[in-house]
Amino acid sequence: MEGDELQKPNGLPVETLDMIAQKKHAAMLERLSNNHQSRLQQSAARRTAADFSSPSFESVQSFLSLFSDAKRSVEADLHRCRAIAAADPKAKSQIKLELDKVSESISDLEKIVSEHSYFLPPYEVRSSLKTIEELKEMVESANAEIAPRKKFTFKSKASSKKEPAALAKESEQFITVSNAASQNISLSDSPGFRNKQGEILIKRFRVSESEGDFSIVDLDSCDVYLKGRFRALFIHRLRNCRIFTGPVLGSILIEDVNNCLFMLASHQIRIHQARECDFYLRVRSRPIIEDCSGLRFAPYRLLYEGIDKDLSDSGLEEETRNWANVDDFRWLRAVQSPNWCLIPEEEFVAVRNISELEEKSGDT
Amino acid sequence: MGLLTIIRKIKRKEKEMRILMVGLDNSGKTTIVLKINGEDTSIISPTLGFNIKTIKYQKYSLNIWDVGGQKTIRSYWRNYFEQTDGLVWVVDSSDLRRMNDCRMELGNLLKEERLSGASLLILANKQDIQGALKPTEIAKVLNLDALDRTRHWNIVGCSAYNGDGLFEGFDWLVQDIASRIYVID
Repeated sequence: MEGDELQKPNGLPVETLDMIAQKKHAAMLERLSNNHQSRLQQSAARRTAADFSSPSFESVQSFLSLFSDAKRSVEADLHRCRAIAAADPKAKSQIKLELDKVSESISDLEKIVSEHSYFLPPYEVRSSLKTIEELKEMVESANAEIAPRKKFTFKSKASSKKEPAALAKESEQFITVSNAASQNISLSDSPGFRNKQGEILIKRFRVSESEGDFSIVDLDSCDVYLKGRFRALFIHRLRNCRIFTGPVLGSILIEDVNNCLFMLASHQIRIHQARECDFYLRVRSRPIIEDCSGLRFAPYRLLYEGIDKDLSDSGLEEETRNWANVDDFRWLRAVQSPNWCLIPEEEFVAVRNISELEEKSGDT
Repeated sequence: MGLLTIIRKIKRKEKEMRILMVGLDNSGKTTIVLKINGEDTSIISPTLGFNIKTIKYQKYSLNIWDVGGQKTIRSYWRNYFEQTDGLVWVVDSSDLRRMNDCRMELGNLLKEERLSGASLLILANKQDIQGALKPTEIAKVLNLDALDRTRHWNIVGCSAYNGDGLFEGFDWLVQDIASRIYVID
């Protein structure tokens, strides 16, 4: 069962969700089972690939060959454009026309994908969309190389009296000014721990603070303990830290952390640009990682006086085991992502009881 | 009879509107859609891909495309631009650090020609969190006053958590689209 879940981190967690999903919409259930059905069909089709010609298998095959043919012809066209450009740099308008045609065939390709998307396995849809994306980028770069687009053509007509160069300069200035203006708006910092090194930071959320958010930013070699419940947590740029928090009713967003240990409870957890970190989580939905490596996951092991009430007040009393159902946005394949794994039980850190820790005055 | 008249007639019969929901990750797009539809919002995983919901709203049928906001999949947003009547840009009003990212992504989105006619609703979500920016502050940070004059836009504070403001926002959006697309009955 465990292995089964690991095999398909992108699929819905059929086993775990089924129990909870009972209260959910009939439509939702139907979609889930449809998903499951198509997955079963796929794998059946894959197993009996050669001699068994199920219709879904056949049409996936025919889509793939249709798609790759179309892709090849687009690539060939692009190649031709570049060749023309190399041979005769003055033939800009001709090349422009050619490139427009290529763009058209790419959007045809897009149409093919969307028309077929209803029966295609999700992976095929994603990979073909990615291919289309790459083709578009190729066209764009070819466009930029061969026939750079003029900016502000629309406006320059209206005020044709001015020298074009001066006009461009003016509009550039305008852009920098407006950018600077909006960047200068200073936002007062939300509550949090910032810019510390080698410290132990403790915070106890009072009831009056339980509707607020908290930030943990730019810390090096610190231990952070947050007791009590609150609404949202932002974590940014930590090195060699250990973070222990009470339940978050809402979401946690983590970006750019190295060599850290986290013990967190929340409804949603998003982890970006993390390296070599251990996560001990209680989470209601599936945690996600993006641009990460060397992450390990285990269940929440934090204790302090009153944590049970805090957890249930935050809707987090239930152990969903979702800490093990991590989605890696950089690894959209059926096999286990190389960027994360589970922590073997014998390596779990000891249950952490922080009842004795008290907030020093003037910490925040 | 012009082409526009024909299109209007067809659309009027169906009374359909296509709404695209986008915004940075963690802004609450999926929660908003489920909340409007009266569904359970207590277990929502970050969106890997997209969700489509058809919701009866007043006398219209809204096709809402809720597209994931993670960085990896933002480049796929453009696959959903075609025939968008209404654009909903969702902001996490408590995420002060990424307001700049938010402004830049919105700026990129609005450059898109295929979205040039779409009505723009900005939902300043998570107003229930203490310390969240107010809609007026967000309008300033996102520099909304500098938007193209032809753009129909509105910013509304809301909370997908308790539902405040959601209907106010969608009422505006639906009315605005209706007045553009459908001949007023």
